[in-house]
Amino acid sequence: MISRKEFLKQAAYLSAGTMLPFSFGRLSDPNIAAPDITILYTNDTHARLDPFPSNAKEFAGLGGIARRASLVKKVRATQKNVLLLDAGDVFQGTPWFDVYGGKVDLKLMTEMKYDAMAVGNHEFDRGTDGFAEAAQKAGFPILASNYSVRNTPMSSFVQRQLIKEFKGFRIGIFGLGIELNGVVNRDLYGNVRYSDAERTARRMVESLRGFHRCDYIICLSHLGYQYTDNRPNDVKLAGSVEGIDLIIGGHTHTFLDEPVIRENPEGKPTIITQMGHSGVRVGRLDLRFSEMNVDHQFRFYTIDGK
Amino acid sequence: MLTRFFVVLITSVLFAGCTLFRPATVEEEKVPLEYPGPDTEIASLLDAHRSQLNRLMNVEIATVKDTLRFGKPESVLGNLVSDAIRSRAANELGAYVNMGIIGESSFKLFFEPGRLTLGEMYEFMPYKNHLVVLTLEGQRVTELINQVAEIGGAPVSGVRFRIDNENTARGVLVNSEVIDPHKKYRVATSSWAADGGDVFPALWEAEERVDLNISVRDVFVDYFRGKSEIYDITDGRIR
Repeated sequence: MISRKEFLKQAAYLSAGTMLPFSFGRLSDPNIAAPDITILYTNDTHARLDPFPSNAKEFAGLGGIARRASLVKKVRATQKNVLLLDAGDVFQGTPWFDVYGGKVDLKLMTEMKYDAMAVGNHEFDRGTDGFAEAAQKAGFPILASNYSVRNTPMSSFVQRQLIKEFKGFRIGIFGLGIELNGVVNRDLYGNVRYSDAERTARRMVESLRGFHRCDYIICLSHLGYQYTDNRPNDVKLAGSVEGIDLIIGGHTHTFLDEPVIRENPEGKPTIITQMGHSGVRVGRLDLRFSEMNVDHQFRFYTIDGK
Repeated sequence: MLTRFFVVLITSVLFAGCTLFRPATVEEEKVPLEYPGPDTEIASLLDAHRSQLNRLMNVEIATVKDTLRFGKPESVLGNLVSDAIRSRAANELGAYVNMGIIGESSFKLFFEPGRLTLGEMYEFMPYKNHLVVLTLEGQRVTELINQVAEIGGAPVSGVRFRIDNENTARGVLVNSEVIDPHKKYRVATSSWAADGGDVFPALWEAEERVDLNISVRDVFVDYFRGKSEIYDITDGRIR
């Protein structure tokens, strides 16, 4: 019996051979009722385990991990293949971090069955030892492909990539962290070494697509959405590295109401998305694989108490 | 419980070898979606850790008598925090400090009447910045005050002025005196503002900088503890 993946590869080959104009996406059928994969994601949750207090200058009453968990459970009840991801900066922002150093966050994220998170700059706020202590509570991979953590306390808690397979589709996920020098105190990051984000991304895509045979690539990025200067950022990454399908971003706390799409060097779309901060929003992308193409349906949820 | 969501469908169109793509916003709507309240399992796990949190953080440091907010041109909280860093900097340094300045974007809470707790102070100022004293020439101080005026006011201490219709500072007095362009002034601020964060470029090229080994959050905790009761009083330093 031919696997669905093989079937689609053959179909893709045939379609490519025709050289006829054709289009994808079902404009007449805008809702992906039965997605192959549903991706839920957050970024920069910043220890916001409880909703914002009533005297918060912004977002009073919004957020809260128990309500987020409830939403995730509801989605899982109807969708079989759910990926739950976070783009980093789980640490720092409320007294929960000052008392527990991120342990409670990572423990509850494990209970919620997060599949992976990226390493944000605030993950270094209690040094590499503090990270390692909290990371023992994480029952899911913490990803950073451009940080060398060898000979540091972080070495057994950070990995470069994660591959998930659903219905024969292989999803390659890798993490990118921000340049540490100038952003994180040197005493805190110790012997962790940063490597160029774009160069690393290129190598990760080559390996994930070529060696690991992934069909779809997700970058969990803590680089930031966009800068006016030359620092690596999600928009720049999308335009300069081919083969990334989706960048789930963080760091700049950007509330993107819609995904931003950039043409990558091979002329294909790379989708960029980011959900502000503090778990105020949860992003959702429903993916449906069809011949030569992946349909995406995007939505976001605002976690409020009303 | 209600959750709103927006739906956007992304489609790719491949045309004779070249790919065109754009988000096709075929549907964008607010859809109410009922879902259960907070997940009980996660909520109880969180609550299991709450007594330790409360023991350390639910500690009263002052009583707030009115609703206190940040705002422009001046505000009760803006005045309090800038006075706090200026007076603490003077104490730590053992020298007169002319000004205090800290942007209000660093602060995440306003105060409601009642107990002010240590936990609230961690949310009030969630960042790990420390106290810095910069030395600026008088002409830089004038630039700084104009940068404050341009944005309609900011938390400052040691200064009085009014903002005219063109958002320029008028009648500027620092410690009740007109600014001497060649005199040197000590300005207390946060490490973040001094490092190039915040919105006051005049702070970024100081002649001298002293980093004090004290977090600005601790400065506020100690300052509010010392006040014990906090009222809604402003003094017209920016008009």
